[in-house]
Amino acid sequence: MIKITDLEKVYRTDEVETVALNKLSIEVKEGEFVAVMGPSGCGKSTLLNILGLLDDPDSGSFIFNGIEVAKFNERKRADLRKRNIGFVFQSFNLIDELTVFENVELPLIYTGVKPGDRKKRVEEVLDKMQIMHRRNHYPQQLSGGQQQRVAVARAVVNKPKLILADEPTGNLDSSNGNEVMQMLTDLNEQGTTIVMVTHSEHDARYSHRIIRMLDGQTVLENIMV
Amino acid sequence: MIRNYLKIALRNLSRNKGFSFINISGLAIGMAAAILILLWIQSEISYDQFHEKRERIYEAWNKAHFSGKLQCWNTTPKILARTVEKDLPEVERAVRVNWPRSFLFSIGDKRLTVAGNIVDTGFLQMFSFPLLKGDPKTALNGGFSILLTEKLAQKIFGDEEAMGKTIKLDNKDNFTVTGILKDLPNNTRFKFEYLLPWGYLVRVGEDDSSWGNNSTRNYVLLKENASLASANEKMKVLKPRYDKDDDPAWEMFLYPVSRWRLYSNFTNGKEDGGLIEFVKLFGVIAAFILLIACINFMNLSTARSEKRAKEVGIRKVVGAQKRSLVGQFIGESILISFIAAVFAILIVQVALPSFGQLTDKKLFLDFTDIRFWLFAAGFIIVTGLVAGSYPAFFLSSFNPSKVLKGTFKAANALITPRKLLVVLQFTFAIILIICTAIVKQQIDHARNRESGYVRDNLVYHFLTGDLDKNYALVKNELLSSGIAKSVTKTSAPITQGWSDSWGFEWEGKDPNDKTDFDRYSADESVTTTMGLTLIKGRDFNLKEFPTDSLGMIVNESAAKVMNFKDPIGQIVKDGDTKYHIIGVIKDFILQSPYYPTKPMLIGGAKGWFNIIHFKLNGSNPTADNLKRAEAIFKKYNPEYPFEYKFVDEEYAAKFKAEERTGTLAALFAALTIFISCLGLFGLATYMAENRIKEIGVRKVLGASVTGITALLSKDFLKLVMISFVIASPVAWWMMHQWLRDYPYHVNIQWQVFAFAGLLSFAISVLTVSYQSVKAAVANPVKSLRTE
Repeated sequence: MIKITDLEKVYRTDEVETVALNKLSIEVKEGEFVAVMGPSGCGKSTLLNILGLLDDPDSGSFIFNGIEVAKFNERKRADLRKRNIGFVFQSFNLIDELTVFENVELPLIYTGVKPGDRKKRVEEVLDKMQIMHRRNHYPQQLSGGQQQRVAVARAVVNKPKLILADEPTGNLDSSNGNEVMQMLTDLNEQGTTIVMVTHSEHDARYSHRIIRMLDGQTVLENIMV
Repeated sequence: MIRNYLKIALRNLSRNKGFSFINISGLAIGMAAAILILLWIQSEISYDQFHEKRERIYEAWNKAHFSGKLQCWNTTPKILARTVEKDLPEVERAVRVNWPRSFLFSIGDKRLTVAGNIVDTGFLQMFSFPLLKGDPKTALNGGFSILLTEKLAQKIFGDEEAMGKTIKLDNKDNFTVTGILKDLPNNTRFKFEYLLPWGYLVRVGEDDSSWGNNSTRNYVLLKENASLASANEKMKVLKPRYDKDDDPAWEMFLYPVSRWRLYSNFTNGKEDGGLIEFVKLFGVIAAFILLIACINFMNLSTARSEKRAKEVGIRKVVGAQKRSLVGQFIGESILISFIAAVFAILIVQVALPSFGQLTDKKLFLDFTDIRFWLFAAGFIIVTGLVAGSYPAFFLSSFNPSKVLKGTFKAANALITPRKLLVVLQFTFAIILIICTAIVKQQIDHARNRESGYVRDNLVYHFLTGDLDKNYALVKNELLSSGIAKSVTKTSAPITQGWSDSWGFEWEGKDPNDKTDFDRYSADESVTTTMGLTLIKGRDFNLKEFPTDSLGMIVNESAAKVMNFKDPIGQIVKDGDTKYHIIGVIKDFILQSPYYPTKPMLIGGAKGWFNIIHFKLNGSNPTADNLKRAEAIFKKYNPEYPFEYKFVDEEYAAKFKAEERTGTLAALFAALTIFISCLGLFGLATYMAENRIKEIGVRKVLGASVTGITALLSKDFLKLVMISFVIASPVAWWMMHQWLRDYPYHVNIQWQVFAFAGLLSFAISVLTVSYQSVKAAVANPVKSLRTE
């Protein structure tokens, strides 16, 4: 599903040049659950942003679902992203001014789903995540675990092929964290490909494969048994 | 999608109440000011544009050389109307309109003085003043018909039918009401409550066919498709053809309706400024005030961008394109603009009466007019676009991978454009402060100028009805009853010159001398009544010197021009009348307090008289004096109302136009400052929020509250300083131009600039320091923990 080859990304300010990705090559197959680990600054977030089409690489190739997307413009990237990719963040990133229902509904609005269908699908996914009773609450009224469940609901409501999770349990206690990890595992078992950046060895054990990065390169791959 | 945007927008507004308040109130005030100004402009540019035949209506003007200058003016001979109808094939019709004239109307026991015009019969076929009753083609026929406005008819006859009723004018002739005019709109140069046919003037012998008597207004209606140029070719040579005695270079021309109100200010034969300059200036001011309010919006929206950044990031992550985000934010600002417009209309409704008073106009919002709503919609959208476009493009360009990671700091990225906008706001505000101060100084300067006479307790009254005939009796009773200390009749009120001439002759006059003198007449004790200062000779005194009826008092300037060694006893000829000078007075302000006094000649009791002046006895209460004076006037002039005027009030009215300019400048200055400060306050708030960690660290390291307050305020005050530097020369130039129109004017002083600088500085210090101090005294432990 994902094949990146010799990917490079350099961040420049006036004085400093930081190499975030250094000729990185990775492949992720459809239905895989991959964890990316490494110390701070090793380039894992950059990798995730490029995989999520939020950022473009300086050079190298990125083939998504058989299409070369490394040189896509913003409009095309947005289009591809909204149909295929769901995101889960460490800090949940829910819109404070929208209710639970409206937050989850947002991706459907941008993909042009009709209001009637939207309601059905949002309710379906809220039910599945067991936060239906909170549908009219605002994010600030929820606990961290509940907020992350809303965020996962939002990520999957469009039935994406790929979910990118950036330290999804980083802001949660262990029981809530486990719950979120279980959700991701369930999604993976239903066929969704997952790439997750994490610092937690515990979380990484939920995956099929761990990619360890250092200085913008992969240094090790562990296949989980 | 729209619903989602609307929800977000409204929730954002209600959640950030302070921000919403500043944005909406600033925008509403700016919009209200702009709407008021636009109403004024609209009223000015619509003057006399409602006449159906406006494209073909012209006024006849004279153009001739006087005192070395090419002068243009719009009073022309009465004979002109018939002449152009005869001589110019382009002309469909010409009508005369005499000067507004007041008559005493008597209906049964009812008496009232009414002002109106005497016009040619074709008047209503040229101008669109519709008749509610009567036939416009025949209503002004004959010499005894009268047309009343609806309002006047109502005032006189109440609900009774006015048509066919009789009204006696000036206790002489009876007139029959032959038509009821719809009340005049606000925006016309004509101000009449009645119309009389020109036939009346003919009958009373006031019509004449002299080409030298330029005393009426002639309006000309050209035929459809007629050429103005060819008509004007013929107008040019009309005067020399019929008036061989006068200047052969004397021209006449036709001046179109569309330019009467705004452009009819001529210098040396060419249009030069006029009201249009004010219309343009006010237009610029309206645009600027609105722009300043929009700038607030831009500044605050971008300053608090960090708060919206997360939303932008998320929307982009879930698939929003830049275009739809731009649309969302512009939509939001149009929504805010709409809410502000609703408040603006409320403010306008509340402010209109006072603004109308200030501008001397009846202004109103016409909610029944579809154009109003179209304009309102356009206004809201344009304001929303102007205010929202910059923030929209700024916000929608955020990189989601950065904002969602929390590494995003937008506040500093935008410092430069935001600073620029603040500078623009304050430049404008400071210019207005300087202008206000100089306009006020100029008014005070002219007001403090020695008028040359004593205005207290001085009253005048027109010599209406029998007053001229019974003048001696009235004067005698006013004096003997102790109401008045001194009584004088004159040709014109002491506050106005009604006559001037360069035709006087005296011994030793240079034949080329065309000095223009103010011409005035007074019967007796003019220096006592008015409190003028006699330098040489004496006042008129008919009892002791009966020849004083041909005596003359001249002012110092006149004595200087005439260059007599001793003016007393010298002869001055005014046409066939020989006057001998009996006194010299100090110059006094007869006309404009902004102009130098002209040479002036006051002829004695043989002259012509229109006014009675009397100095009230200050030892009695004024109300008492007036009540008793009224009784005397009623006794000798029973048919006419007692309508006196206080000279000090009339004198004060000379400053009205400039006072209005001053008040408007002050009003705009205050509004601009207020809106700018709202914005500054908002910016300071966000700045304090953004730098909360920095402040905490500084305090932990030992910075004092004063030090931090100064640090935070410094940035803003620097901007105000820059604004001051830009504003000063601009304001100087503008005021220099303005003062050029006043020969008697103040010099622009540096103190005004210092004052404006300090004032704006002080106001901004107050605005910013509240937030700065608040941030500075906050406990650093708290602020550092929030990170």
